[in-house]
Amino acid sequence: MTTTYKRKPTKSELRRQQMETAIMYPVDWLEERSGLVGGLRYFLFRNVPADVNWMQTLGSAALTAFLVQTITGVILAMYYTPSAQTDPATGQPVAWESIRHITDEVTMGWLVRGMHRWGASVFIILMFLHMGRVFLFGAYKYPRELNWIIGVLILVSGMMEGFTGYLLPWDQTAYWASVVGINLNGTAPFLGPWLAQFLRGGQEIGGETLTRFYSMHMLLIPGAIIGLIGLHLYLVIRLGVTSPPWSREAAGMEPSENGRPPLRPGLTRAVPRNGIAGQPGGQK
Amino acid sequence: MAVVPQPKEKPSRVDEQRAGFARYKDDVKTRGKPFYPYAMFHDTIMSLVVVAVIIGLAAIWKWTSYGPHHDGLNPGLLGPEYTAPADPGTVSFVPRPDWYFYFLFYLLRIFKWPESVFLGTVGVPTIALMLLIGLPFLDRRRERRPSARPVAMVAGVLTILSMGVLTWKGATAQEALASEVIRDVPRWIHEENLPPAAVPGAKLFATSGCTACHTYAGSGGSNLGAPDLTAIGTRNLGIPTQVKHLQNPSSVTPGSPMPSFASLGDDRLHQLAIFLEASKGTH
Repeated sequence: MTTTYKRKPTKSELRRQQMETAIMYPVDWLEERSGLVGGLRYFLFRNVPADVNWMQTLGSAALTAFLVQTITGVILAMYYTPSAQTDPATGQPVAWESIRHITDEVTMGWLVRGMHRWGASVFIILMFLHMGRVFLFGAYKYPRELNWIIGVLILVSGMMEGFTGYLLPWDQTAYWASVVGINLNGTAPFLGPWLAQFLRGGQEIGGETLTRFYSMHMLLIPGAIIGLIGLHLYLVIRLGVTSPPWSREAAGMEPSENGRPPLRPGLTRAVPRNGIAGQPGGQK
Repeated sequence: MAVVPQPKEKPSRVDEQRAGFARYKDDVKTRGKPFYPYAMFHDTIMSLVVVAVIIGLAAIWKWTSYGPHHDGLNPGLLGPEYTAPADPGTVSFVPRPDWYFYFLFYLLRIFKWPESVFLGTVGVPTIALMLLIGLPFLDRRRERRPSARPVAMVAGVLTILSMGVLTWKGATAQEALASEVIRDVPRWIHEENLPPAAVPGAKLFATSGCTACHTYAGSGGSNLGAPDLTAIGTRNLGIPTQVKHLQNPSSVTPGSPMPSFASLGDDRLHQLAIFLEASKGTH
């Protein structure tokens, strides 16, 4: 960040130089010790294919929905109590009462809970749409197979979040859906009865089940999802995003040989990259 | 030195894949554009739309279910904000998952207890998940254009269609409300020639939530793989077994997803058992 002057720098130029050094000092300090600034710079200024389109924003849209879930979830956890015991003051279950309190009394509580409730649906929908886009683009093929699998695991984990979160309001809808849901898990061979027993935390669905679901819903599964999203993004940055497969400018298409019609018409540029067919590696 | 043209060997798939990816990397490097600001601009707009939609849904949920008593119990466009507190004692509640489980929920209407319900609860979802995870290894061609992947495209469309239909059917599945089913009891007595001793049990059957999953003489909803009970009496299980089953279904039918109805109390379970044993499917 230093500028070299042929002549002796004036006072104002010197002052500006000092200012620059002072401002950049913390950034340089961090970069020298962590390399994070360089990493961020690489993330931001790495090249993506010139023909990426709007459909390829669905992944970051799903990430946004997940961030909304984490933020609203943290706020909800400040007011929610996962207890099935009866509140002596109101005669209602404590968990249900805390949900009622959040919805009806806490300032903007309805908004935070509403965003969490419906953000879940938006997250699931966006994950499905993102998966549909990847399928349409054939973007799960070499070398991105592993990222497809991680994506499927995120989708399944997201649905597990939906299943565990559904019980937390501890109302009739929540309770009976979970009774049946847990019983259905129990029909699986070998592990089924054990799984149902584990989810219930006993023979009956009750307070044990609620705390168990709460712990899974806000520690276990979100932790897994955050780790999987980290891996997912790492692979996206490492492997790059694909061009739309129908694009005439798609990155990675096979070059035509000697100006002859290509062996695989669709995989070859209809318009030569540099205007002269058969001369690979040219620059515009 | 004359260059002798070597007979070209067909490159292996792995070589082709690697060459294709190297070409991709090179193309992106030479002809790509930086993520910031171009792609990031689109991502930011999309993210703002997502947040706006979520806030909008929360607002619609709040304001359409906002009742005179502010109790949140009025269903709005998107359903009530909360229902009555969980009560293991009431069994007349129709179990309903969140909408993105409707496809699984409805799958259990197709597969019936006991022969094939396992297919609906575990079999089909497991196979579907394995296929989904295994997709990159089932489809290993390099071709990415949809027009040149007819099998993948047809499979994809069929998957979306079947998921959509199952979700839609699950969403519009008839709920058997106790207040409606109770009106069918006289018809059951007439059609099935129920003895007077079975009448209290028939009324209990109509109002205790049994018909949320079981059908009886054409009444009720078939859910979660539950069998039709019009002719359950022909199996001659006996009153004690019927009561035991109602108290703890999986002790009689291992792996049954049916919840316990023990909260009804022994007297009423006994009445229900009499009704079930009297149901011989004579219609």
